[in-house]
Amino acid sequence: VRRVNLLGLGTLAGFLGLWEALVRSRLLNFQYLPAPSATAAAAWDLVLSGQLTAAAGHTLEVTLIGWVAASAAGVVLGLTLGLSRTAWRYSMASIEVMRAIPPVALVPIAFLVFGFSIRMELVIIMFVSSWPVLVNTIDGVRGVPAALRDVARVLRLSNGATIRKITVPAALPTIVVGLRLALSLSLVLAVVAEMIGNPAGLGNALVRAQQALQPAQMFAYVLSIGLLGVALNAAFQHAARWVVPGLGKGAS
Amino acid sequence: VTADPTFAVHDGSAWTEPHRRQPGKLRKTGTFPPFRGLLPLAGLLGIWQLAGPQHSPYFPRPSTWAQALMTLWRRGTLGPAAAATLGTFLVALTGATVVGVVVGIVVGTSRPADGALGPSLEFARAMPPAAMVPIAVLLIGYDATMKVTVVVFATIWPVLLNTRAGVRFLDPILADTARSLHLNPVDRVRKCVLPALYPSIFLGVRSAVPVALVMTLLVELVTQVNGLGALIGISQRSYQSAAVYGLLLVAALFSMAVNGLAAAVETYALRHRPQQ
Repeated sequence: VRRVNLLGLGTLAGFLGLWEALVRSRLLNFQYLPAPSATAAAAWDLVLSGQLTAAAGHTLEVTLIGWVAASAAGVVLGLTLGLSRTAWRYSMASIEVMRAIPPVALVPIAFLVFGFSIRMELVIIMFVSSWPVLVNTIDGVRGVPAALRDVARVLRLSNGATIRKITVPAALPTIVVGLRLALSLSLVLAVVAEMIGNPAGLGNALVRAQQALQPAQMFAYVLSIGLLGVALNAAFQHAARWVVPGLGKGAS
Repeated sequence: VTADPTFAVHDGSAWTEPHRRQPGKLRKTGTFPPFRGLLPLAGLLGIWQLAGPQHSPYFPRPSTWAQALMTLWRRGTLGPAAAATLGTFLVALTGATVVGVVVGIVVGTSRPADGALGPSLEFARAMPPAAMVPIAVLLIGYDATMKVTVVVFATIWPVLLNTRAGVRFLDPILADTARSLHLNPVDRVRKCVLPALYPSIFLGVRSAVPVALVMTLLVELVTQVNGLGALIGISQRSYQSAAVYGLLLVAALFSMAVNGLAAAVETYALRHRPQQ
C-alpha cells in the first residue's frame, strides 16, 4: 500500500489556490490566464457538449492504431536485425541516420503527401514510434545472456524453437520498455500532427481554442491531453505486468 | 536499455519510484555502427534520384533538394533561420540545465522538499510540452521569449531527474568529508556535491539535447516565429516540396551534429573519471 503524500498534495493544492487567488484579485495580470476554477468549468462544459469526448476519442483511436502498427513493425524488424549480424552490419547505420531526423520536421512532408487526413497522422506515428521499439528489440535480443544460448544449444533446440522459447522471452522486458516509450511518443505525435495539420482530435481543438481566444477551454484541452497520457501509461504498465508475469517493477 | 532520444515524452517512470540508472555508469558514447550499413539508405536515395518522377509534388528527386536549399541560401533566408534555431536551442538548453540542476539538487538533497514539491513537479511534467505552445503564445505572445520558455519547460525534466538521482546516489563519505572539513553550505555544494554530480548532469543534458532541438523546431513550425521550423512550414504551405525535403535534411544534420557534439563534450569532460 502506498502512503499518500499529504504534504506534496497540499503543496499542489496550495499552488492552485494561490493561482486562483492571484487571478481573481487581478494581482497576476495576464490578459489570457484563466483561474483554475474557470478551467474546470470550461472542461465540464466541453464534456457536457460532447466536444471533449469526441476529440479525445479521435486522438485515442489514432494513437492506438499507430502504436500497434509501429510496434509490430519495430518488433519484427528488431528481431531480424538482432538475430542476424549480417543484416545488422548492413543496415544499422542507415537506421541511425533516419532515426536522427527530428520527428516534427517530418510532419510537413506527411502533410504534403497525404494532405489533411487521418493517414497523415498514422504515417507520422508509425514512422517515428517504431524506432524505440526497434532499438530496444535489437538491444534485448543481443543482450540475451550467453548462458541461455548455451542452454538452447545443449537442448539441441531448432532455430525456431530457440527464438520462441529462449530469445523472445529473455528480450521481452527490454522490448516492453520500447513499447511503453512508443506509446507515449504516439500520443505526442498524434497531438502534434493534429495541431499542425489534421483538423480533428485534441490537438486541433486546442489550437482552435487558442485562435478563438478561449484560454479556459485551451487549458482544459491541455489538461485532458496530459491526463490521457498518464492514463495510457498506467493502463500499459498494468497490462504489461499482467501479460508478462514476473516483469519486475524495474523493467517497466 | 536505450533511452529514446527523439522526442519530448513523459517517459512514465513515476516520479516517486527510485531511479535505477547508476550515475557514473555511462553508456558508451560515440559508437556508430559500421559505415557499410549506410548502403541501403544510399541505394534508396540513388534509385529515387534515377528512377523517381521528374516533377513530383510529393517525392521530388534528391538533386532538387540541394537546388532548393541553394535558392533559399541565395535569397538569404536559410542562414538567418538556422541562426535563429541555433540561438533558441542554445539559450533554452542552458536555461533548462541551470534550472534543472538547481531544482534537482534541492529535491535530491532534502526529503521534505522532495515530498512537498514532488506531486507539483510530476503534475507539471505530465503536461504535454507540445500542447504548451498555444498557451505560451496567448500568455507571452509571438516572440523569442515565448520560444525559449516552451523549450525550457520541455527540456528541464531529463536534467532535473538525472541530477536528483545523482544526488541520491552520492557517496555518504563525501558528506562526511565536507562535515569534517567544516565547509560552509556554499562550498559544500561547489566543492563536493557539484563535481560528484557531473556524470549525472551530463547524462541529463545529453538526453535533453534532442528534446530541446525537437521542441525548438516544433515551436517554430507551429507559431511561424523565425527559424528552420518556420521556414519548413512556409515552404510546405507554398508547396515547395523540394525545399521541404532539403530543410528536413538540414534539420537531420543539425540534430546529428548537436548530439555528436554533446556526446563528445561529455566524453572529454569526464575523461579522467573511471568508467565503472
